[in-house]
Amino acid sequence: MGALGKPIILMVAMYLFLKFVLPNIPGSAPLPSSLIFLYLLLTASGIVIYETLSGESKDAFWGPMQRFLTGKNSGGLQVLRYGVLILFPLLVGWETYGSTASSDLPPTEGRTIHPAPPGEYTGLSNPVPKTPENIMQGKGFYAAFCSPCHGGNFDGKGPAARGFNPPPANFADPTTIAMLQESYLFWRIKKGGVGLPIEGAPWRSAMPRWEVELPDEWIWKIIMGEYDGAHQSPRTWE
Amino acid sequence: MKPVNEMMKQVLLGGAAVIVAMVLCGAPFSFAQESVAVRATLVTGGLPLDDPNAAAWSSVAPASFPMSPQVHWPNRIQEVTVKDVSVRALHDGKQVVFLLEYADPTQDPDDGAALEFMVGDKKAHFAHGQPMLQVEGGPVNIWFWKNKTNKAVDMSAKGFGTLKQQVHQDVNAKGTYSNGKWKIVFSRNLSNEHPDEDVQITPGQFINIAFAVWDGRKDAAGELVEKGSQKAVSSWWYFRADAPPDYSSYMYAAVAVALALGFQFVLIRKLKKGQ
Repeated sequence: MGALGKPIILMVAMYLFLKFVLPNIPGSAPLPSSLIFLYLLLTASGIVIYETLSGESKDAFWGPMQRFLTGKNSGGLQVLRYGVLILFPLLVGWETYGSTASSDLPPTEGRTIHPAPPGEYTGLSNPVPKTPENIMQGKGFYAAFCSPCHGGNFDGKGPAARGFNPPPANFADPTTIAMLQESYLFWRIKKGGVGLPIEGAPWRSAMPRWEVELPDEWIWKIIMGEYDGAHQSPRTWE
Repeated sequence: MKPVNEMMKQVLLGGAAVIVAMVLCGAPFSFAQESVAVRATLVTGGLPLDDPNAAAWSSVAPASFPMSPQVHWPNRIQEVTVKDVSVRALHDGKQVVFLLEYADPTQDPDDGAALEFMVGDKKAHFAHGQPMLQVEGGPVNIWFWKNKTNKAVDMSAKGFGTLKQQVHQDVNAKGTYSNGKWKIVFSRNLSNEHPDEDVQITPGQFINIAFAVWDGRKDAAGELVEKGSQKAVSSWWYFRADAPPDYSSYMYAAVAVALALGFQFVLIRKLKKGQ
């Protein structure tokens, strides 16, 4: 088992890293099982190439496996050998069942949270001067029109929010308005959910199309009030 | 008294141990659990088509969905009575029946409830299938029940102001009120001859469903509080009528096991000969 010990440890360590460590690194996300499988396959290929570079290492690598499978001199490993020979076909059967049985889960609909805005809404700057009065007025409009869903605390937890899926954006979260430009918010507020492109799943969003009810100046003031109230700054190009 | 850094070390170690245990056990970090789909269980024999209190309903697990006041378009409403609906469904391969339940402190003549479905392959906005600016949407089919008549109206819409009663009325509904709770059954054939107007339900396939409720209470001036677009609404969720049991996956798995056994047999025989 000497020559096989290291590869086995390496494969297990790689799996544990991909499954449990990588998703917990800030900014990362859980890896889909297909990607984990692909990475493990690449790792295994690397190990096989490395271990079979010379005739000597090749024998040291394959030899124990051949002896294990044929049961020659396997001694105390005989039970393990039978275990592997029984478990392998069962695993293949289980995987086949899993990939052909109908799923009880609804189809997954990928939704892009921040899809690209139309050209006319990129790079616009807020035409309203950033004065305390305008910010205060923006917060007043926010309280009247936006807070029922986005919350009096700008946290997406307004009294009308609970039934909506996707939930209203939480502006205090640094991954929402803090990473967007003011012109992006102008587009989202003006056109609402129905203005999203197909990858934004417009049929799900409850965001109103405010352009039919509010003048542009009010929308720019609301944007100002949102950033100030949520203690965030708009993204700018340095 | 322990030194501060010794205590910190213990706290950090304890915290790390808890996180490791949670990760190893696959425990989710969020504990909120809500339904995403209504499942119609396939039954043989009679469906409780007009009986919201039938014993058959107790054998079906309910799915629960949160409701919001309708704030998407004018006229809006800021607060509604109904905060959640509970939904169950059954089908027999020909007809489907839904049981919609919700708490309402008073029974009023203007109480009402509706199920909404997307029709056809095109996505429709949950607000009456209103037009989307960059996506061509489809129509919605609305099954509307009102307490006044205790009947269903089969309706269609594709945008605001387009809601209309269909020529073909295919849906039945009946509600009963007791102990501060409405129970309403809606039933219809799984499929019919009007695929452009009516949702067509194919067992095994997920389709989109949404809910709306009107509490018919009146304010101090005698005006209805919830009416028209002023109602409780849900987002789109999923509905599926269960398909008849399919055992082909077991057969595929058996074939795969046989192939894997054969592969092992050939491989070991070859290795033994080689030696």
